[in-house]
Amino acid sequence: MKRMTKHLPHYISLIGILGAGVTGFIIFSHDRQFQGAVSIALASGYVAWGVIHHYLHKDLYVSVVIEYLVIATLGLVIIFSLIFRA
Amino acid sequence: MRIIEHLAHFFIPRHTNNHRAKLLHSSTLIYLIVILIYYQLTIQFIARSGFKVLGYAANISTNDVARLINEERKKVGLMPLTINESLQKAAYQKGEDMVTKGYWAHVAPDGTEPWKFFKDVGYRYQFAGENLARDFPDAASAIKAWMDSPNHKDNILSSKYKETGVAVVEGRIAGLDTTVIVEFFGKKFADIAPLIPVASAKTTGEAVLSQENSSPVKTNIVVSPFNITRNLSMALITVILGTLVVDGIIVSRRKIVRVAGRTIAHAAFLGMILIFALIIRSGSIL
Repeated sequence: MKRMTKHLPHYISLIGILGAGVTGFIIFSHDRQFQGAVSIALASGYVAWGVIHHYLHKDLYVSVVIEYLVIATLGLVIIFSLIFRA
Repeated sequence: MRIIEHLAHFFIPRHTNNHRAKLLHSSTLIYLIVILIYYQLTIQFIARSGFKVLGYAANISTNDVARLINEERKKVGLMPLTINESLQKAAYQKGEDMVTKGYWAHVAPDGTEPWKFFKDVGYRYQFAGENLARDFPDAASAIKAWMDSPNHKDNILSSKYKETGVAVVEGRIAGLDTTVIVEFFGKKFADIAPLIPVASAKTTGEAVLSQENSSPVKTNIVVSPFNITRNLSMALITVILGTLVVDGIIVSRRKIVRVAGRTIAHAAFLGMILIFALIIRSGSIL
């Protein structure tokens, strides 16, 4: 919790990125291409946030970057399977 | 006992999993991604193989579509659209054309445009428009999707149109049993007689629709690919989120130092994916 308070601006920026994505997703609910683009942008932003956050925290390792990439990919696969389904 | 050990290894950080729940290891998550992709390919294969097990159940009547459209027009002070029998017929022919040729578009693969169907039934239009929807469970959700889309909303709330024709057609598109809603909008040339007399052109929608094609279309579908995909995805995300929370609490209490991503960041991202899965609806519009 102490570490979270210390990096509060980091988490606020992350919540801001994700909140903007949810807002765009709702507003453009009729446009699947746009929803797909928003999902890719958010996943990229999430990975970039992770890299920058861990770099500033001085604990950036390849395994950490892979972890963010894998979770972002999992999220994208789920969203794309719902947007561009059979 | 061994089952409990396996479960603990999978969901709780401990010495056997390097103090991180095995489910949260990148290798496990990659396996899950591969399984999800394989699952999607299987769904696509089943849809195209001809087995009639996948599709979208619907309970839609043309009456409901026309009534809801006119309610939307009434909200903004516009006159209701009257049902035109020729437009009804044209809309039905367009729906039949789509399921017969297996396409989902305003223009058919052979280049047939929507306006051809207007002309085929002798409807000489000054203005004409088309809204399409498929895979919606009911009329209300289809109308909501149209109203959320600026282009479709423009058609519904246009003062240029005076008449409409609605058809709900069942069939298979891209291997899936589906229900297509076709709505044609039009305004006839006032001073030109139609090629085919339209006796009930000024009859109200309810009156015409109650005589023909007003019963809800109910498809005999067993499995909706969207629903099973959504339920599976939401269950998976929920399990991972729960494991992240448990993992975060235990690691924090035991003050375990490890090289890993931030639990809160992962939970926020996956929480957003969960919200997306809830927002995405089953139908699509054109």
